[in-house]
Amino acid sequence: MKITVNGQEREAHAGESILDLCRREGIPIPTFCYHQAFGGQGACRMCMVEIKEDGQSRSRLVAACTYPLTKTAEIITESEQIQRIRRTIVMLLARRAGENPLLEELSRAYGAAHLPAITVEPANCILCGLCIHACAEMGRSAIWSMFRGVDKRIATPYDEASDDCMGCAACARVCPTQAIKVEEEDAVRKIWNKTFALVSCSRCGKYYATREELEYLSKHGDFGQQQLCETCRKKNLAYNIKTFQQ
Amino acid sequence: MQTEMNLGSDDRQTVLVCCGTGCTANGGREVFNAFETSLQDHPEIQVLPVVKATGCNGWCEKGPLVRLLPRDITYCSVAPADVDEIINKTLLDGVLVKRLLYRDPVSKEHLTSHHLTDFYRKQHKIALRNIGEIDPGQIDDYVQRGGYQALQKALLGMKGQEVIDTIKASGLRGRGGGGFPTGQKWQACRNASGNTKYIICNGDEGDPGAFMDRSIMEGDPHTVIEGMILGAYAVGASHGYIYVRDEYDLAVQYLRKAVDDARQRGYLGNNILNTGFVFDIDLIRGGGAFVCGEETALIASIEGRVGEPHDKYIFPTEKGLWGKPTVINNVETWANVPVIVLHGPASFAAIGTANSKGTKVFSLVGKVVNTGLVEVPMGTTLREIIYEIGGGVLKKRSFKAVQTGGPSGGCIPAELLDLPIDFDSLTEAGSMMGSGGLIVMDDRTCMVEVARYYVNFLAGESCGKCTPCREGIRALLEILTRISEGQGSIGDLDLLEDISFTMQQASLCALGRTAPNPVLSTLRYFREEYLEHIEQHRCPAGVCRALSIFYIDPEVCNGCGVCARHCAVNAIQGEKKQAHVIDESICIHCGECYRQCAFDAIKLR
Ligand SMILES: Cc1cc2nc3c(=O)[nH]c(=O)nc-3n(C[C@H](O)[C@H](O)[C@H](O)COP(=O)(O)O)c2cc1C
Ligand code: SF4
Ligand code: SF4
Ligand code: SF4
Ligand code: SF4
Ligand code: FES
Ligand code: FES
Repeated sequence: MKITVNGQEREAHAGESILDLCRREGIPIPTFCYHQAFGGQGACRMCMVEIKEDGQSRSRLVAACTYPLTKTAEIITESEQIQRIRRTIVMLLARRAGENPLLEELSRAYGAAHLPAITVEPANCILCGLCIHACAEMGRSAIWSMFRGVDKRIATPYDEASDDCMGCAACARVCPTQAIKVEEEDAVRKIWNKTFALVSCSRCGKYYATREELEYLSKHGDFGQQQLCETCRKKNLAYNIKTFQQ
Repeated sequence: MQTEMNLGSDDRQTVLVCCGTGCTANGGREVFNAFETSLQDHPEIQVLPVVKATGCNGWCEKGPLVRLLPRDITYCSVAPADVDEIINKTLLDGVLVKRLLYRDPVSKEHLTSHHLTDFYRKQHKIALRNIGEIDPGQIDDYVQRGGYQALQKALLGMKGQEVIDTIKASGLRGRGGGGFPTGQKWQACRNASGNTKYIICNGDEGDPGAFMDRSIMEGDPHTVIEGMILGAYAVGASHGYIYVRDEYDLAVQYLRKAVDDARQRGYLGNNILNTGFVFDIDLIRGGGAFVCGEETALIASIEGRVGEPHDKYIFPTEKGLWGKPTVINNVETWANVPVIVLHGPASFAAIGTANSKGTKVFSLVGKVVNTGLVEVPMGTTLREIIYEIGGGVLKKRSFKAVQTGGPSGGCIPAELLDLPIDFDSLTEAGSMMGSGGLIVMDDRTCMVEVARYYVNFLAGESCGKCTPCREGIRALLEILTRISEGQGSIGDLDLLEDISFTMQQASLCALGRTAPNPVLSTLRYFREEYLEHIEQHRCPAGVCRALSIFYIDPEVCNGCGVCARHCAVNAIQGEKKQAHVIDESICIHCGECYRQCAFDAIKLR
């Protein structure tokens, strides 16, 4: 399927999103709520582009991350109105993430006006929803979005320590604004109002995961029984492959 | 078209007691019960009149209504205590109870039937054709008025495609707000591949103040059901859902009974009218938020997921409920379908404007003399609705604007009163048909406050998923609040417009895309009022408290004392028949006196 992006012809797979095509072809489109692992959510609206499909007389604005390509089309990823939309979105989100470097940088880049900051919970959260997906992907679904409209926020159910949270911090790692606080001290990790004991790597001694996380992972058949941190596990894997090949 | 009244097949007297939600709240049920019991005390009557509880006649303001057939007499504001008099005088002696008749405010004449009032004369009922005429709990009442004949006609004599062609030819467009051509929607679903298809009736009606869909579901549930069966037959669906707003208990009750009765009669189930056609309906209670009425959110909600919208780049007609092709239509849309199929598309298409056919039900409320539900042909002007049907602006104040379409709509000024209203004319005017809300506003309405009211409503009703809507609404609300408090600046108007642009262009669903309409339409038609708030710190309607300072003009004041009695903080002093004075140090600027004074003696500084 032939798709013209910014005047250049590209080949798309039927059904793939505009964003997936552009990512593959190295055409930049800014996003907040997209992640390769979860696909598009259509929530942040930063990825708006113009599309004119075969048979249409006028182009329209669509979210690149959720729009499936099904027929020949012309796409424009940068234009005055796209820029205007992105600038406003950055302006509106920057107030949620006061001094966050990412939003500061984007505000500068887009020349977004400065609106008074607002207090949100957790601080700096721009409600991209990635953490919810990350946690669901871990099989836990310990966090969700609570309330609706302007009161919407990410939380554990009833803001209490959740039985489902295993302290893996996958949510925090995926967060674009570092809004999810992970406090680590010695053998203890605190996240989402819950305290976890950390397990140390049997090779290098570094604290690297919570007990709950390891139990969960081993129950679900991943990883061996050895308690190794990421670095040591990679080393170990490389060693195994080497011995296997010999 | 056979939408005229049918006054019963025999001459037996019928008492129709309105027991819609409005009349019930005012004692309609008690009136109904009083008729049933009192009639028992009259062994001398040989053929007892039939007493029926009906759905809403759309004139709740004058309720509880009692109608007597075959003479077509309508009594207003009937109390249980009036029942004996009605029985003795009217039913037994044929004499009218004059004090219960509606008195035309202009001609001062007593009108024997509501059909003779200005409020009803100009109406044309298709979707509401049966409401008020039948007991919604009796399938036979519906059948007697031509109900389920369209179904027989279609199932026994038409192909599915012919039903779609009929709907297309009628020009019917969706009454749920968007105005999408119904036949085209059905065609897309029929053409979609797959054997499992669904039909949904959208009865969420989350618009504040709207009650047209409720009144149809409560007053004529079978027309919705018959419409859905016809739709199912046309597109090849075997299951349907009616999604009813959670608060609508009475609607749920009547719909449930109607579905059961229809099944018993063989209109629903595994072998409809012995043709082998299979279709059944389930009821679902709504999720509670305004946004749940949006079709993708509604589908998510039926599936048990969070009621949040999704991008609709693939239409529900292709991938809807549980990923299957789905037709979703509004209650009023469904209610038109049996009429179109039974009488053919031509008579329907003969009503209305070039691109909007048929009628539309509006809920006419606000500062207008007659309020209620009105069904008028598309293309009726705002002036006809507000002045002829509605009887003009209350208290003879001057008309300022009419808000149409609820939170997604806008305010239309006096210059456009002669606008023939249909889907396209309203959109062009910067408003929307929406679900059909019409709120009349007088000169004491502040347009900044109106915009603020709707944005504030949406702040709690948007789902909050996408940035333009959630953060845009937040920002609009802050700016409008600031302006209404006298803290606005000229730059705020540009900011309102800039944010609105992004909301319209980039929001995920139509809630966010239309949310700026109340703001943009008031900016478009009442910009000077915004400027007056910002530059002169003055609210010309006397609504925004921070900007309204009232004083009494001693030349005009006649000392009637009404204002003083209504002032909550006793800020107004004065001798009887002497000019009164407002003590500014006590006054809290609520404007109550301003609204109460019948002589316009209270002024704004
Ligand atoms: C925020 C929002 C709320 C809506 N609420 C309703 C509703 O309460 N009832 C309704 O029929 N349509 C509602 N709609 C429109 C539906 O999404 C859909 O277009 C409609 O049900 C289709 O039926 P129709 O073509 O017969 O109008 C709403 C749309 C939006 C964006
Ligand atoms: S730390 Fe808890 S909330 Fe975060 S992803 Fe892991 S389980 Fe989910
Ligand atoms: S906490 Fe981070 S990842 Fe989660 S929604 Fe907020 S910004 Fe996105
Ligand atoms: S436009 Fe508003 S209601 Fe619609 S998805 Fe976005 S946040 Fe939700
Ligand atoms: S209500 Fe009007 S006329 Fe009467 S006392 Fe007050 S200001 Fe005077
Ligand atoms: S990346 Fe597409 S909407 Fe967020
Ligand atoms: S409920 Fe009786 S007229 Fe509306």
